[in-house]
Amino acid sequence: MSTFNIWLGILQGLGTTAQVTAYGLVFAVPFALVFGVAQFLTTGMTRFLVTAIIEFWRSSAVVVLLFVFYYVLPVMGITLSALTVSALVLGLNTGGYASQAVRAGLQSLPAGQREAGMALGLSRLAILLLIELPQALIAMGPTFINNLIQLVKATSLVSLVTLTDMTFRAKEIAQTNYDPVAIYSALLLAFFVVCYPIALAGRWLEARIQS
Amino acid sequence: MLAQAPHPLSADQSMPHVRIHGLNKWFGAVHVLKDIDLTIRAGARIVVCGPSGSGKSTLIRCINGLEAFQKGKIEYEATSLGKNTRETAKARRQTGMVFQGFNLFPHLTVLANCTLALRRVLLKPAREAEEIAMRHLTAVRIPEKAKAYPAQLSGGQQQRVAIARALCLNPRVMLFDEPTSALDPEMIKEVLDVMIALARTGVTMVCVTHEMGFAREVADEIVFMDEGRIVEQASSKGFFSGTAHPRARLFLDTVLRH
Ligand SMILES: Nc1ncnc2c1ncn2[C@@H]1O[C@H](COP(=O)(O)OP(=O)(O)O)[C@@H](O)[C@H]1O
Ligand SMILES: [Mg+2]
Repeated sequence: MSTFNIWLGILQGLGTTAQVTAYGLVFAVPFALVFGVAQFLTTGMTRFLVTAIIEFWRSSAVVVLLFVFYYVLPVMGITLSALTVSALVLGLNTGGYASQAVRAGLQSLPAGQREAGMALGLSRLAILLLIELPQALIAMGPTFINNLIQLVKATSLVSLVTLTDMTFRAKEIAQTNYDPVAIYSALLLAFFVVCYPIALAGRWLEARIQS
Repeated sequence: MLAQAPHPLSADQSMPHVRIHGLNKWFGAVHVLKDIDLTIRAGARIVVCGPSGSGKSTLIRCINGLEAFQKGKIEYEATSLGKNTRETAKARRQTGMVFQGFNLFPHLTVLANCTLALRRVLLKPAREAEEIAMRHLTAVRIPEKAKAYPAQLSGGQQQRVAIARALCLNPRVMLFDEPTSALDPEMIKEVLDVMIALARTGVTMVCVTHEMGFAREVADEIVFMDEGRIVEQASSKGFFSGTAHPRARLFLDTVLRH
């Protein structure tokens, strides 16, 4: 099998990789926004609970979470598809990281922004939605791009729960052709081809924000 | 421009807009405001001065509810500040605030800075909000920058936009907290000129400033604060003609020598 054919074979898994990434974002984005904002606004016991949930998703090993949700939950009568489990686990893990960027972005705004909003009679919610979040999200754009790259890379784990992503395809090909150098180099290249444009977009964004 | 028509809400000169009784505030154990009594009549132009740390900002921020206080009363015509959040919001809507650091919203254009509260607080339709905003931007002599972002403006221009933004809501009282002290010297005048023109329209204003030239020209009442107390409260004439309290005179000497 030529190197090129190996590469084409691996790219057959690209659809799954893209699917897990996109579906993962459906979990990651709302989680990051809701929990980042909640951590910013709450105090005391509520904040402790919010932080605990964020830390659970952020600090648990993704592989272990995948196994738990895919193999253990069915025992308790909850069966989720491999795609849903993958998107949920990877998405909330990434969302956990991104929530910290949301919170940090909100915290780093000068107090004068909120005070100016209050002095204009805006409600707390309006200040959050119209003044604080837009600024925090723009400032944190580059960090979110990094989080997205992390998510794409983490999809290489979903073959562990039977999804046919690029990594799974590489292992399949490796079973029929013993050529680890060519196969895994090709896999490396495939991920690079997906992630590098995202990284470039991130750098472009960063330059635009600074100007 | 500004000098032509009197401000619509400045008409009734007899009613006090804000009455402050026995106001006391602590930051933790630090007693920052001590037994402050102050009446802000309609049409009054009060200048508040005093050494750094004497509580001027805190007083201004208490008046529009940005700071809570522990003792005393701040009464706004009908509502009283500090009781609950709805009352505070209502009272706050009657004041416009201009900060030392401008505090414009950097992600919004000059026009959008001005229309934001018109649209979201007063629920004006977009067209009307823009008309009101443009009127006030014209009054502060910066209508041509409506589509610019704050970062593209000089400090003086930003502060004039901040004044226009506060005026858009037609406040009963305009509060200024050292509006020119973050500005380079060459920009101070353009902001003071706008404020002088504003004073001539009859708007009620309370202004913390060390610009004694401005105070002399505009203020009808000078409040001198020291260590959290109002040490001297006098007509502008009385204050500058040397009858001031010794501490106030010492302060005046240092400020005027600069
Ligand atoms: N947020 C705060 N927390 C604690 N102390 C404060 C705070 N803001 C102001 N102070 C203190 O209150 C006193 C009055 O401050 P301020 O009102 O800013 O004075 P001024 O505006 O006259 O310079 C100062 O001693 C200052 O250190
Ligand atoms: Mg101050």
